[in-house]
Amino acid sequence: MTALYVLDVPENTPLAAVAAQDPAVTVGRIGPYFAITATGPIVIDRRATGCRHAVWYSSVAGVARGSRITQHDKDALRVEPV
Amino acid sequence: MTELDHRVQGVDHTAFPTFDPAGTVRFYRDVLGFPVVHSICAAGWGPEDHPDFIHFFFDIGNDDRIAFFYYFGLEPVHRHERGDAYAGFGPDVPEFFVRSRHLAIHVGDEDDLLEYRRRLDASSWPVEMQIKHETIESIYTHDPNGYMVEFTRAMRPVTPQEDLDANLTIDALLDVVGEGDPTFGKLLARKAELIVERAAEWELSRAGEPGR
Repeated sequence: MTALYVLDVPENTPLAAVAAQDPAVTVGRIGPYFAITATGPIVIDRRATGCRHAVWYSSVAGVARGSRITQHDKDALRVEPV
Repeated sequence: MTELDHRVQGVDHTAFPTFDPAGTVRFYRDVLGFPVVHSICAAGWGPEDHPDFIHFFFDIGNDDRIAFFYYFGLEPVHRHERGDAYAGFGPDVPEFFVRSRHLAIHVGDEDDLLEYRRRLDASSWPVEMQIKHETIESIYTHDPNGYMVEFTRAMRPVTPQEDLDANLTIDALLDVVGEGDPTFGKLLARKAELIVERAAEWELSRAGEPGR
């Protein structure tokens, strides 16, 4: 199980919306956080989100144990099962 | 955790040494328009061979103040090219570290930010960077003493969930620093646990507050 948490603030909503476009990914909520989960990898394309760099590189609030970030650069955020 | 009541009222003053009082007054009073609001002329005293000095203050809004010490007869205390009047840095110190310490002065809106930009750009200390960080927009320059000064405006109000998030970050940071060998990855893993433990309850407690 892969799980990524993103705070629900206006700058981050496109990120959750792009993540939700993948049918293998579920976007739920825990309090004010988006809980983005999948059985396999979660991949979010930065350009599709329209997020500029300051937001993009500070958008991840938490990554569950059992998952890890394998890519977080100008192209994409990729979280995979360990 | 015990809730301590929060009684403080902002910055009274923050103080820096200067070897260039003329440039300092030009920058803060004549370029930026910060009124001189206080000064102390003090003869040196005490067990150390303390020089005579002037301690002078500029209003930075909200009755908060930035202050300087000018010591008669004191030569610069370091010879490094990088850094400021207080501290110098050799080539072994990374640039991001040298640039980390700064004073950020708040302005109300874009008009006010651009007004300070105009004042600085017409002076010997033009704006070096103007950056929109999405939630804030800032301009930066260095004063005549090498101190980095930022002017910043909020582009939207801070939301309550950002205060929760900040507190979860700090609790996670204390945990991973306490364990030793801290990394960003460990912080995000610990923070994920705190989100699962506390975020849903936080939202419910807010929903139960009167007037919401």
